[in-house]
Amino acid sequence: MIRIAAVGDIHLSPETRGVLRPAFDTLPACADLLLLAGDLTRHGTPEEARVVADEIRGLGVPVVAVLGNHDHHDDRQDEVTAVLREAGAEVLEGESTVVRVGDARVGVAGTKGFGGGFVGASAGEFGEPVMKEFVRVSRRCADGLRASLEKLAQEDCDVRIALTHYSPVPETLAGEPLEIYPFLGSYLLAEAIDTAGADLAVHGHAHAGTEHGMTTGGVKVRNVAQPVIGRAFHVYHLPVPERVGAATEATTT
Amino acid sequence: MSTHDAGPAAGTSAARSPEYRVAHLQDRLASGHLGELGVRTEVRGETVLVHGTVPSARCREDVLSTVREELAGLEVHCDIVVSEPSSPDHAEELS
Repeated sequence: MIRIAAVGDIHLSPETRGVLRPAFDTLPACADLLLLAGDLTRHGTPEEARVVADEIRGLGVPVVAVLGNHDHHDDRQDEVTAVLREAGAEVLEGESTVVRVGDARVGVAGTKGFGGGFVGASAGEFGEPVMKEFVRVSRRCADGLRASLEKLAQEDCDVRIALTHYSPVPETLAGEPLEIYPFLGSYLLAEAIDTAGADLAVHGHAHAGTEHGMTTGGVKVRNVAQPVIGRAFHVYHLPVPERVGAATEATTT
Repeated sequence: MSTHDAGPAAGTSAARSPEYRVAHLQDRLASGHLGELGVRTEVRGETVLVHGTVPSARCREDVLSTVREELAGLEVHCDIVVSEPSSPDHAEELS
């Protein structure tokens, strides 16, 4: 069993320095890794990113993150990423990483994702350049997620997790105004997850949303935005499927 | 002397209606220095409800100050809470 801690939308800044560290210090006792689902800062400044970095440095569990829209606000997302990486976090955008937990290989594929809406009420790549670009960005994020999950499948991972900031499904947005759903997520993310396969999908972004959802293909989705979970993080216990021929492998090595 | 009503074409007090003021407030909260997209403002009859979760007490005060300024003269109910930073007391078993 893999113990996955996750939270998004912590929106740290100098005035909230150190507020999550006491809770994060308990992670080694209750989790094998920490996923950060974006919006780690308020305005995406390197100064705010350094507060996040201090919060996660030397935690004792691996930290895997994606950025959110707030982390892009100051147009310095590369610097924010660099600050977080310097603190030891893996920051993913259309990329994947493999974390070893005992004998198990946990694959995490990540992208910020973007909006566009959900089946029956989604934006199309048509009209003004800015509208077409909006949809293209969403598609690029989803393509990156699918390719990363497929790469993890080839890398013999025991479990695979899709980590995004924007939501792949509308269920976890319940509580938000219906009118803003197209700005909260995209079905393209869910399609990518269902096409490549995953054991769990984790996202943030929707502060007034709901924790639990599922893709059409049956992948469990969890909205871990801090206002939704009401804690510093939530922990999910994910079973590790028994490997076919594992017993044989064990005796021959 | 004409008694003809100029009508809406001349502009009406609706331009300062609570709906437009709330919309401008929402825009200011999101795109101003607060960068606060998680606070919702809704017109409820004669009053305005402001609710959501913010990362700190200071942020809550900043939001309220902006709300008071933007919606001066309107009755405002505030239900903004600060994020809870404690550890969880249980885990969810995923099957």
